Amino acid sequence: MADLQLLLSFPPDDVAKLSNKKYDEVLRGYVQRVDKLPQSAFLKQVNNQNILELLNPAINSIAYLYTLVEQVKSGSKDKNRLTALLDCTVIFLATFDPVQIRYSTISDVWLDLTTFAITNLHDLTPVTTALLRLDPSAGTFTTVHLRIVRAALNLGTPSAALPILDKNIHSLPTTPIKQHADEYLCDEDAVFITSKSGFTGKVAPEFLLEYYLLGATIYTALRQYSRARLFLEYVLLTPTTQHSASALQVEAYKQFALLGLLAQGKGYPLPRTHDSSVTKNIRACCKAYDALAESFEHRDLQKFRAEMETGMAVWHEDGNLRLVRECEQALLKWQVLDLGKRFAALPIGRVAAHVGFGDQEVLGWTLELIRSGQMSASITPADSGEAGDAVLRFHDTTAGKVGGEDLAAQTARIEELVKYIRAADVRLQLSKEYVDYAKRQKKLGPDAGDVIGDQMDLSWEGGGGIMGGSSGMGSTGFMGPISGGGGGGGMGLSGRIEGLDDGDEGGEEDIMGNY
Amino acid sequence: MASKNSARSPAKRLRQDSSSPADNFNLPAPTFDLDTWANNYDGALLPLRLCHVAIHCPSLSRQAIGLAISHAKRSKNVRQYTHLCDLAGQLHFKDLGTPDNDWVSRQEEGNKRELSRLEGELRGYKNNLIRESIRMGQEDLATHHLITGGPPPDPNTVQQLGGSGYSVAYQAFSKTRDYCTTPSHMASMMLRLIYTALLQAVSSMQAGGSSGGNFANTISNCSRLRSSGVKAEEQVKLEPIAAAMSGISLLGQGNYPDAATTFLSTPIAYNTLGAVHGTDFGRAVASANDIAIYGGLCALATMSRQDLIDRVLGGSFRAFLELEPHMRKAISLYTTAKYKTCIDLLRHYYSDWSLDVFLGAASSSVGSSSHVDVLFAKIREKSITAYLSSFSEVSLASLASTFPPVSSSPTAMEEEALGLIESGLLDARLDVVNGTIIAPRKELRSGTHGDAARTAEDMERMLLLRLHKVNVVMAGLEVPKPKNGNWAEGGFYQ
Repeated sequence: MADLQLLLSFPPDDVAKLSNKKYDEVLRGYVQRVDKLPQSAFLKQVNNQNILELLNPAINSIAYLYTLVEQVKSGSKDKNRLTALLDCTVIFLATFDPVQIRYSTISDVWLDLTTFAITNLHDLTPVTTALLRLDPSAGTFTTVHLRIVRAALNLGTPSAALPILDKNIHSLPTTPIKQHADEYLCDEDAVFITSKSGFTGKVAPEFLLEYYLLGATIYTALRQYSRARLFLEYVLLTPTTQHSASALQVEAYKQFALLGLLAQGKGYPLPRTHDSSVTKNIRACCKAYDALAESFEHRDLQKFRAEMETGMAVWHEDGNLRLVRECEQALLKWQVLDLGKRFAALPIGRVAAHVGFGDQEVLGWTLELIRSGQMSASITPADSGEAGDAVLRFHDTTAGKVGGEDLAAQTARIEELVKYIRAADVRLQLSKEYVDYAKRQKKLGPDAGDVIGDQMDLSWEGGGGIMGGSSGMGSTGFMGPISGGGGGGGMGLSGRIEGLDDGDEGGEEDIMGNY
Repeated sequence: MASKNSARSPAKRLRQDSSSPADNFNLPAPTFDLDTWANNYDGALLPLRLCHVAIHCPSLSRQAIGLAISHAKRSKNVRQYTHLCDLAGQLHFKDLGTPDNDWVSRQEEGNKRELSRLEGELRGYKNNLIRESIRMGQEDLATHHLITGGPPPDPNTVQQLGGSGYSVAYQAFSKTRDYCTTPSHMASMMLRLIYTALLQAVSSMQAGGSSGGNFANTISNCSRLRSSGVKAEEQVKLEPIAAAMSGISLLGQGNYPDAATTFLSTPIAYNTLGAVHGTDFGRAVASANDIAIYGGLCALATMSRQDLIDRVLGGSFRAFLELEPHMRKAISLYTTAKYKTCIDLLRHYYSDWSLDVFLGAASSSVGSSSHVDVLFAKIREKSITAYLSSFSEVSLASLASTFPPVSSSPTAMEEEALGLIESGLLDARLDVVNGTIIAPRKELRSGTHGDAARTAEDMERMLLLRLHKVNVVMAGLEVPKPKNGNWAEGGFYQ
């Protein structure tokens, strides 16, 4: 009973009047006490009711969470019990109080609950909505993200992961910098998903890569080519230590090569900022795909088919067989589309001659292409009734849709992105390595010049540079600190490389070429 | 008289039209008289020029060969003489083709004696170590080589056909470099080098070899000539030669745009130079009239209408064009959009120009189209594009009437138009069903919108990628280096 009282003791009745500071204090104390409760406290029944029924998930979120997790962990194999718990979980995930939950990070309760939900639910919507409830931008990568994507694929409902995938990742969990005295977790903009908080397990680089790779596969299947391209480029451009390459990057490159063919008839150009030795290594593993792409770009169907046959084992092993077959279809489509660049109208007979297939077949395809909207043209059947004499007339494609709203939406997205970039910049400036670098620059004098790093010119808005508000040193370049010391800074922050703590000189110099 | 055009399509991409092979060798008679024309030139290049005429124009063959042989006999070049006799034999002019062996052996003797004499003198000078004499001696030796076409081929050493003799001369001239003391000497040496290189180029072209290297030599020497640092009054004389010769070499290499600009910058003084350092380039290589033709054709083939009006008709090149009024007429016809007349006029002189040794040379080792053919094709393409630019829709029939198609197949005009579209020169679409060419209406507004959307998308993507990179580095999540060997196992998240 006393435990129940304890559990119900938060929030107090005058919660609305509490200042952030007081709220923070009270909640912290509460959580610590709850955490200390033994497991039995959550399991026993009070007045023959499960504690869960006495707690309101929206108000006593933390208590509810703890209770729920303990009951799940108690490992009852009873099917009904599990279903009941699942229902409670769903209710919880839909109604919890996000701010309170930020404080639940002393133990891994959140993670446990989400894992339980993901492994047992067939419909992932509650989990995705929960993540979005916790953080509407869902932009800080956590291991939960990866679990959701995997589960979605395993369940055969890839689109279930879309609400999460659609949100751009704008930060990764890092060790929190010392919080200022007046920053609280319950603040509006607090950063509460950190590597120490219980919202994510330890993130390893390959998780991030896997997330993006799986995401790209989903988008390709949904034919959202530009988003798939973005994800693949994320994987390919992930920085590596000393030009090593990940096998996931190799896989990504394979898909990347084929994606461009599908989407625009020729391969996507490699992003400008790629690491050339890494790309060289990656491409060395993907010769078959490059050959395929080349024969596609020359619109050489025979050669493409030949390459396809030769590489059958490769595609099969990589799981890309269907993608390659789609490319084959796409090749035919692009051959016809190419004609649109040269002709305004021509009879189907000539199209067939160009493509190398029979009139009737070609007529069928072109009709299909027009109907599915991939080609803007029209077919007038001939008087003679011959398929070969029907006339294919291409429409003017430069008169595209005037997407005024699209532009506005895009501008809004870019503005939001800028906000996150600012946050990242702030974090960067507070990193130890950068502070040391700045100190040195100051010592050397303002004419030391900044030859290091290229300036990322974000000054597209009316005012000065994006970093105008930051300190003078800070605004010299978004990338400046990175090449100088950010590499070392990154390492130092997560403390993965020993012995860098003292040597700023050593650390920076040998990291110099790395980024 | 409008010469019967070769039925072979002058299409730039040398599509093998099966209707007739190398009609280059069957040119009808030109509009000029061979004798008067030949009197404009002298030096070692004249027989080569006549050779070219003989090979390519059957009606003038006999006359040309005869002239060439008599000219060669007056010079001391035995090799050239024998070569010409052989050529005459190949062209079935047996009477001309019998070499005068007497003269041959006498001349050879004379050459050898002269050669040893000069070498002896040179050795003497070298012993005396008087630079100026060594230089002059070396120059005389080299000139001798030039005049005699180089020493007879040594069976022990491997040599190329045709050009080997002149390469000895070239090297000999280069040796004088060490003994040149004043810029004037340098200029003189370079002039000789230029002349020799051009001779080499022409003779190797005629022998079927490639001449790119020789042309490149010429160009480099010309540029050195310009910066040789001689006094102003001498520079005035050297400048036209440098410009003209580098123009010819650029033309020989097929670099028509640069050739055009170089020719346009040639001062008109070229016409009145006379002998500079012993050689009159106007007679030895190319006269001012030739320069006018070369420059005019190249300009017409590569420059835009506005440029033609400003720089060619309105600039200093106009003085050259006065020498060849028909060229000027052709250019002004083009600029006033009278394409049909312009092309007909050019066709009229096709034979003349093809018989010129520089213009009529093969433009590449593949196929047998000459520079003239290539230039004509370019001019035609440009005219068609210019003609179409003022219409939104043109029927193929009217296009064919303005620009008579070159081959007689019914789809010739269509194929030509297709070729232009595919190569990107013509921005239009072909309507095969109605037989028209349609210029696309550019929707600027939606086009700009589309561009803006694309740029925004790219910008967003780039920002996201950069952010990703920064985050990964800050979080220390780069792909780690494998610790043991080349591969390392990654983690698997349960």
